[in-house]
Amino acid sequence: MKQKETQSEGDILFVGIDLGTSRSSISTSNGARQWLQSYVGWPKDFISLQVVGKPVLFGSEALKHRLSLDLCRPLEHGVIKEGLEKNEEAVKEIIKYLIELAKPAPGQKIYAVVGVPADTLKVNKLAIRRAVSGFADSLMVVSEPFAVAYGLNLLNNSLVIDIGAGTTDLCIMHGAIPSEEDQRTITNAGDYIDEQLYSYLTEKYPNSKFNKNMVRQFKEKYSFVRELAEDIKVEIPVDGKPVMHDIKNEIKRACESILPALVETTAEMIARFDPEFQVKIKNNIVLAGGGSLIRGLREYLQEALKEYGQCTVTCVEDPLFAGSNGALKLAQDMPAKYWEPLK
Amino acid sequence: MFPMNAKRRELKAREAILRGVYENNLRIIGKPAEESRTKLPLPLKKMLLFFSVGLLTILGQGSNLNLPMFPERQMSASLITQERKLVPDETRINPSDYKELLGSYSMPLRRMFGLGVKTIMLDAGHGGEDPGTIGKMGTKEKDITLDIAKRLKERLKKYGDFNIIMTREDDVTLPLNKRVELARASKADLFISIHLNYLPSKPINIIETYYFGPSSDAKTLQLAEKENAGSKYGLSEFKELIEKMGETLKLQESKELAASIQKKLFTNSRKKNGNIYNFGIKRAPFVVLLGVDVPAVLAEVSCLSNKQEELELNTESHRENLARYLEAGLLDYLNKGDANYEAKRNTE
Repeated sequence: MKQKETQSEGDILFVGIDLGTSRSSISTSNGARQWLQSYVGWPKDFISLQVVGKPVLFGSEALKHRLSLDLCRPLEHGVIKEGLEKNEEAVKEIIKYLIELAKPAPGQKIYAVVGVPADTLKVNKLAIRRAVSGFADSLMVVSEPFAVAYGLNLLNNSLVIDIGAGTTDLCIMHGAIPSEEDQRTITNAGDYIDEQLYSYLTEKYPNSKFNKNMVRQFKEKYSFVRELAEDIKVEIPVDGKPVMHDIKNEIKRACESILPALVETTAEMIARFDPEFQVKIKNNIVLAGGGSLIRGLREYLQEALKEYGQCTVTCVEDPLFAGSNGALKLAQDMPAKYWEPLK
Repeated sequence: MFPMNAKRRELKAREAILRGVYENNLRIIGKPAEESRTKLPLPLKKMLLFFSVGLLTILGQGSNLNLPMFPERQMSASLITQERKLVPDETRINPSDYKELLGSYSMPLRRMFGLGVKTIMLDAGHGGEDPGTIGKMGTKEKDITLDIAKRLKERLKKYGDFNIIMTREDDVTLPLNKRVELARASKADLFISIHLNYLPSKPINIIETYYFGPSSDAKTLQLAEKENAGSKYGLSEFKELIEKMGETLKLQESKELAASIQKKLFTNSRKKNGNIYNFGIKRAPFVVLLGVDVPAVLAEVSCLSNKQEELELNTESHRENLARYLEAGLLDYLNKGDANYEAKRNTE
């Protein structure tokens, strides 16, 4: 306890960062909570610099000016872009910007825990450490679902399903740091839904003009699985004129496209455990990430897993900050002696 | 008392988890976990013992290895002499039974018959329960090979006229015979398997590329044994496959492909890192190369046992570069014999 007191004196700012494919967020011990869309954009040339008036733009602002920017979404799954140094540079910019948003006091030391998608972590640990180390005095990198689990105090007999943009990460907690067998990654997640939705809509409305960005907005606004009473209609221009389109079926189909793999992997992971623990885990399944906002998903999963016995699925309350809050909690709980060697 | 116990248990779990996070991160930056060494001497000792016994077994097997199906010649050149030589070891292995076959074609089969290469199969080594080799900082071969394969796929897709297939796109366990089946079923025209080397005793970095064939190199056989483990092929099937092999022209083509890939991999890697050794192209009885009916090579693109190299492999740019070199090697092979390309190549 003594340690805690010295730490909370204010000379150290504890920071939890959730570095996501689509959104990144920060939670700090001074109470700041901020997030942004994980886009970084640099003006393409001198003229665009004049137009946007800044050397680097983030999030929705970057998206708005995307035509005059070199836009980068650094953690996008499986997509290789021109210029790789740029990806690392973009991660750096995001971290820098997030920490600025948290407004550390001058001279305050920053101890950070950063959660990243499990797949990214495997091959980019060092790159991420390198990107963050310039802005933190001491630093630890952890996998995203683990940070969520820790934050929710689900240390034992629980399963966290973190449905992000690039990947869906599953992580079983059983009272120890999850080993590789306790973690699985499915590459069908939010971006995949976008792709499906885009192709379904192009197929159904070949004459209507829409782009990936619009499609993502439709998904974020209307996503659902199973049944929904209301109609879903959106305005899309046809030959320049706005026309209402019914996209309910397409939304449903696209959202449901990630379900088979999800159910299968979940069942597989649970089945690996001792029957006694299986029951406990099944009653402690938590959905996190942006995908947990899909209406009906919780019920669907609970229903689909029924044949494996009674189970309870819940959603995290605040998917946007669940990861960064968990990372912050890790940072605050971490004994001081562990921080020292990681400077 | 019960809630007290539960609370204590939870505290303990929390402590273990926090220490785990700390140790993982120490490993990422390449520092040994001092904490655990002093605190947990027994399990560590056990592990060390396990490793050394394992190592001894492997070494022992390597030197006693005497596969009857391969014309064996005692391997006398040690790793050290190889280093000095730094030449493709073609001259060393020279089994007469394939010599005629090798010498009889001067241009790739593909060009001779005017056939196009349409489908290229990329095989990311290991995966799932089989991590491959593991570096000192915990980098796993399976993750790196998959990442490089994905990058190579993206690069090749840009040409538009190849159909690129991967044996695995995720971190899944895939036995070698399944990979072979996949290559056959998808009618692949070329097969490229990506692996990382591991030299436990040498702090050096090497690049080598294999194609299927009998080998007399003990180290190669040892490596083949390692890479073949888990193939799920029986010995009789294996023999059958080898016999079939002799009749195909695959060997010649595979050698060409291996040479192109090795050349591009090495010359390019050398530009960045002068401290890298060219171990050339070699023949080896890798199951995954043997079972595939089309030109097939296995490239050991880097060396995970080298600490500096492990660091590099953890950067996106290095993995992208390796993919680029593989791409260059592949194109070099595909363009061989093309008059325009040859002319350009000779002036370079």
